[in-house]
Amino acid sequence: MKYYIKLGFVLFIITAIASGVLAYLNTITQPIIEENQRVAQEKARKEVLPSAVTFEEVVGELTYHIGKDTDEQVVGYTFVASLYGYSGDVKTMVGINTDLIIEKIKVISQAETPGLGANCEKLEFQAQFSGKQKAEMKVDKDGGTIVSLTGATITTRTIANSIRSAMDKLNIPTEETDGEVE
Amino acid sequence: MTLFKEFTKGFIKENPVFVMALGLCPTLAVTSSVVNAIGMGLAATFVLVFSNIFISLIKNLIPSKIRIPAYIVVIASFVTIVDMMMHAYLPAIHKSLGLFIPLIVVNCIILGRAEAFASKNNVLRSVVDGLGMGFGFTLALVVIGGIREVLGAGQFLGINVLPESYQPMLVAILAPGAFIVMGLLMGLMNLKKKK
Repeated sequence: MKYYIKLGFVLFIITAIASGVLAYLNTITQPIIEENQRVAQEKARKEVLPSAVTFEEVVGELTYHIGKDTDEQVVGYTFVASLYGYSGDVKTMVGINTDLIIEKIKVISQAETPGLGANCEKLEFQAQFSGKQKAEMKVDKDGGTIVSLTGATITTRTIANSIRSAMDKLNIPTEETDGEVE
Repeated sequence: MTLFKEFTKGFIKENPVFVMALGLCPTLAVTSSVVNAIGMGLAATFVLVFSNIFISLIKNLIPSKIRIPAYIVVIASFVTIVDMMMHAYLPAIHKSLGLFIPLIVVNCIILGRAEAFASKNNVLRSVVDGLGMGFGFTLALVVIGGIREVLGAGQFLGINVLPESYQPMLVAILAPGAFIVMGLLMGLMNLKKKK
């Protein structure tokens, strides 16, 4: 009996030391990780809505950011569209202007097949979304205008559908659009 | 065995991947590019060296009945450290290696070296063994990753090395390509050994 208590005690000491060290390291790395993620998001927002300088978060059914230029004028909105693709969630940062026309999109995380679906990260593919509206967010096979990636219709459809349904959920109050220039 | 031999045995003679066939899951999964291979190899080497040091230090304090759980706790702690550090300081590599960093815990190379080597040898020899095995693992990953990346994407370390007209052999960077490349390399190693 005493022997088994000793075994448990030894294991307890080992795990206690290990968890103590890990807890300490976590307090150091956690803020850096969060900061990294925040910077990465901020960078992606700037990329899809280049005319905006500052972003203001609006929490709602779909959290989005209002992009403003140096004169505090609203120039557009950014949001993250996400749906399950072929082998994982495909997350896309989307920038739209005040007329709700897509400025630019950027796939920020995906785990699609390398060489096929993963090509959705290519700029040539993402460029075709620019200047389009919500109604056009369908792949050509479904009667839309988005040209599918070779061998990766599912991925393309996921991106198009995720943007469409995210824009459905987007709840932009009308007074916000009053700040529109021209 | 001299220390130098202890170090180099992991490269060819006792290569963890090609000869001992250990740690094949991460080998197959992360070798689609050289960058991933290096990241995974170095992360595993770090864990291997430090868990070897610790296990060698505490080998006499741990009753043999609970040595496996004790080793796993030590290994898991170092893996978590690597995971947090990479996430904080190398987010790009951390993202592409994804789940395979936490899975180093169950990489049988590490537990294998702890059980077969570090628990029977002194600290210095254990460090050398960990480094040698770790670099042997990294070497194997880089060789497989290099072949797959050149064939499957026409690139090496992300730089185009083949002419623009080369049509990438997609299968090389998909899962079957990992099996094919590794199988051929293992076959070559065996052929060389027989001579």
